[in-house]
Amino acid sequence: MTFSSKSKYLFLAFCLLPTFLLFIIFTVYPMLGGLYYSFFDWSGTSANKTFIGLDNYIRLWNDSIIKKAIINDFFFVFVKVIGIMTLALFFAVALTQLKIKEAPFYRIVFFFPNIMSVVVIGILWQFIYDPNMGIVNSLLNQVGLTEWARPWLGDKTWVLPSIAIPAIWAGIGLFMLLIMGGISNVPKSLYEAADIDGASEWQQFWHITVPLVWPQIKTSILYIIITSLNGSFVLVQVMTGGGPGSASEVMGSYLYQRAFEDFQFGYGAAIGVLILVVSLITVLVSQFILKKEKVEY
Amino acid sequence: MKVVSQILVRIPLILWAFIVIFPLIWMFMGAFKSNAEIFTSPWSFPTDFSFTNFERAWNDYNIGRAFLNSFFVTVLGSFLTIILSIPTAYALERVRSKFGEVLINVYLASMMIPSVLGWIPLFFLLMKLNLLDNLWALSLVYAISHVPFTIFILVGFIGNIPKELEEAAVVDGMSPYGILFKIVTPLIKTGIITVTILNAISYWNEFFMALILLQTESKNTLGVAMNLLKIDAQYDSAWGVLFAGLCIAVIPVIIFYSFFQRHIVKGMTEGAIK
Repeated sequence: MTFSSKSKYLFLAFCLLPTFLLFIIFTVYPMLGGLYYSFFDWSGTSANKTFIGLDNYIRLWNDSIIKKAIINDFFFVFVKVIGIMTLALFFAVALTQLKIKEAPFYRIVFFFPNIMSVVVIGILWQFIYDPNMGIVNSLLNQVGLTEWARPWLGDKTWVLPSIAIPAIWAGIGLFMLLIMGGISNVPKSLYEAADIDGASEWQQFWHITVPLVWPQIKTSILYIIITSLNGSFVLVQVMTGGGPGSASEVMGSYLYQRAFEDFQFGYGAAIGVLILVVSLITVLVSQFILKKEKVEY
Repeated sequence: MKVVSQILVRIPLILWAFIVIFPLIWMFMGAFKSNAEIFTSPWSFPTDFSFTNFERAWNDYNIGRAFLNSFFVTVLGSFLTIILSIPTAYALERVRSKFGEVLINVYLASMMIPSVLGWIPLFFLLMKLNLLDNLWALSLVYAISHVPFTIFILVGFIGNIPKELEEAAVVDGMSPYGILFKIVTPLIKTGIITVTILNAISYWNEFFMALILLQTESKNTLGVAMNLLKIDAQYDSAWGVLFAGLCIAVIPVIIFYSFFQRHIVKGMTEGAIK
């Protein structure tokens, strides 16, 4: 820029400062605050705030529900990554490579759950699983599998998979689009050459599509991991509130219950720090596992 | 052979389309049914299309109020996000400096940090500022939470504008403010529309921050009101009303999406997120 340096800096300050100040107040301060509050025993009023050092973390370590919640969180991460990526990849390939006339229809429909709120999805699926009027049980009864019908969300073994299914249902559209974007950038000539060489569609998939859309696949997997660890509790809280017992508790729903239902804000903040630590470690480890040089032919 | 594979590949596609659409149709039909009908014939078409359930959801269960609140928060939040993001995105893209690199990384890093971590302090901060239960404050909180993502998308779009345009404007004596608002902003219209659609959908659907930061029934947004309606419906067994409420929450987004889906797909596949 060719303006005098004073007016240039004034302009830069005009552009950057207001947003950054608000960002400090409403994003940075709360996050550092979360760390700070985790060292206190605090019920929300300033009179009842005492510094207790690492006691909240020691309590975390001994809390059996936390262990259960971490395991459940990783169950969701694992099932969602496998379920969403398998289906999203398959649909993305089918809709871009196989010359299906009505592809735009599927593309639009598969994205529908992505634009619905988690509350709506949660309530809708609660109905689908409802023991009396739900689709699942009445379908099982109609095909004669009456003994399979059960209160899905009230059953300790089945509650987690039952919540994972709507999570996958709601996740596919976005990642399908991302991968479709990747596939559309793969030069057509590669597939034509492979056709001439007699490579089967399956071989083309593994040797051309997967390596070339690997950046999108990797981004999608990491994104699923992050959003699952940071956000799958919304669906849990809406559908079961962590129940039955604590069978479907995840870290986020446990934080909400401790902090905003039991007013143990210090302990809640410590759970928040735990979520941060767990998700950072998971992302770093997964990044290491998924590391693969970008392929260019 | 080709025909067989064409049919085979359609089976999973049709099946999944069915799995996506069927619950929505089921919800829509349930919204027109009486309680007795929902229990006795959950699979059939409603016998008469009465809008009683919709009226009761809208008037008796606070969904009407919540609809307007959500609309307010969505519009104000999306507007604030754009206002706050364009100048920063422009400065960060055009004036490359050490400081700018640091700033952009701070914004990007904040997207990785779980927002749950900040909810407790945020709650008490707004309490101190007397901004709890305030839709203006909620819109601002939403806006700030999406500023990093929006900056990230807009930087990409601004990077595609040829610098010569701005240089010519400088020669013509235009101020940097004029360049930003009269030249750059109109040129990144596509980016602004794409990112605003994505932001608006997530503000419309947001639930947990609203649950924590709003307190009185008259302030509730749709997510919170729907969650309350679900609890009430269990006591009153007002299932048809609950279905109607779900429809009221979903249908506007589906219509909105159908109008703008081209933009979403374009933004998603053409360079925005890579």
